[in-house]
Amino acid sequence: MSSINLTLKIWRQPNSDALGNLETYSLDGIHTDMSFLEMLDVLNEKLTKESKNPVVFDHDCREGICGMCGAVIDGVAHGPEKEITLCQLHMRNFSDGDTIVIEPFRSRAFPVKKDLLVDRSAFDRIIQAGGYVSVNTGGTPDGNTIPISQVKAEYAMDAAACIGCGACVASCPNGAAMLFTSAKVSQLALLPQGHAERKQRATAMVTTMDEEGFGNCTNAKECEAVCPKGISIRNIARLNREYLSAVLLKDD
Amino acid sequence: MWLVRFLMSSIGKKLVMATTGLLLVLFLFTHAAGNATIFMSSDVFQSYADELHSHPLIVIIFSLSILLIVFAHIGVGLFLFYENRQVAKSRYAVSTRVVKNSFASETMPYTGLVILAFLFVHIFGFTFSSEDVNISVTVKELLSNFFYALFYIVAFLALAIHLSHGFWSMLQTFGISHPRYDILLARLTIAVPVFFFVIFGGVAFYFMTGLGSSF
Repeated sequence: MSSINLTLKIWRQPNSDALGNLETYSLDGIHTDMSFLEMLDVLNEKLTKESKNPVVFDHDCREGICGMCGAVIDGVAHGPEKEITLCQLHMRNFSDGDTIVIEPFRSRAFPVKKDLLVDRSAFDRIIQAGGYVSVNTGGTPDGNTIPISQVKAEYAMDAAACIGCGACVASCPNGAAMLFTSAKVSQLALLPQGHAERKQRATAMVTTMDEEGFGNCTNAKECEAVCPKGISIRNIARLNREYLSAVLLKDD
Repeated sequence: MWLVRFLMSSIGKKLVMATTGLLLVLFLFTHAAGNATIFMSSDVFQSYADELHSHPLIVIIFSLSILLIVFAHIGVGLFLFYENRQVAKSRYAVSTRVVKNSFASETMPYTGLVILAFLFVHIFGFTFSSEDVNISVTVKELLSNFFYALFYIVAFLALAIHLSHGFWSMLQTFGISHPRYDILLARLTIAVPVFFFVIFGGVAFYFMTGLGSSF
């Protein structure tokens, strides 16, 4: 096991109203087998012993499935490794003497609460607008009573892999939430159970997405490139179709 | 009203860009076909131009429609550019683009404005040129000027860059995305800009280099 010495530049902001700034910390003897969050834990222990405020950051499962963690590392959401969340990033991706800039996920719709912690409740409100099925489905049906092709089921499952971490918004040059919203619309639009409400869902979720202050999609593909779950922008094309057909054909 | 709400939504604005963009690409195909007659001879080109302008009603309706489409494309485009700047400005101390070859998508508003500047020069040079002089003479006269032709070629390069993102982006906005024709669309996104650059740029190059001295 080798260890490395690092210089960290971390966004510090005491609360959402305060002006933040990048603070520089030096951290020595970081084991390369540590995860990125464990490295931040080491920093926080050091800061606590020095009677300084530890760096606040979101985290929960630390195994890449909950969607709580995330920060922008040297300009890339979740750091340099493909298809992983920040907690799954390991320090072996960095070299001795590196300077790492750590900033919160930023968007107009994601206000910074403290340091690296951002308020992502705008995502919850998009889900509340239509990311569910509310039709009465009755009792447990027998298996295979609703025919669906394996390919469709796989596409729906791929979209459902979205953990709502917000990396798509953070990496989008325009702060758009199209990849998130499209994954949440797609996972239901692809399945028969989701068809009953698909038009109402598409318009309600897109309207809420716009109202929350997310930007406009310019098809820059940055979201897809940083998504820890590899959500495809084909979902965005599907959302565009769903939205257009809903606007033109919705019965209301 | 539903239509206004739709047009003001984020996807609605993108669909306006995609629809007007598609119409402008279709217009460019007809324009390129007409220009290609230049490579035949000045007589063929002149007779094409005379034939076209012997139907003034078609020309007027077509021109006004194009003008409307261009205004919508530029107007909504600039509005989106403004809105996105509001969201994006000074977000990160370090910002890194992960996507390779993102030059075209990053510079869409700028390549678009270069094309707009070109349109002014082009319309004042050709559309409003003196009617006493044959258009085939005007073409040769203006494009034989090295810098005038060079400006044209630079503008067509901007058009090609604009379309190398815009063409695919338009299809994506229309929701046209499927594993079966991904490769076809990716190839078209290269072929269409190259086609326009070769035909339009070729005309400027033809006169600039003196290849068309006997035109």
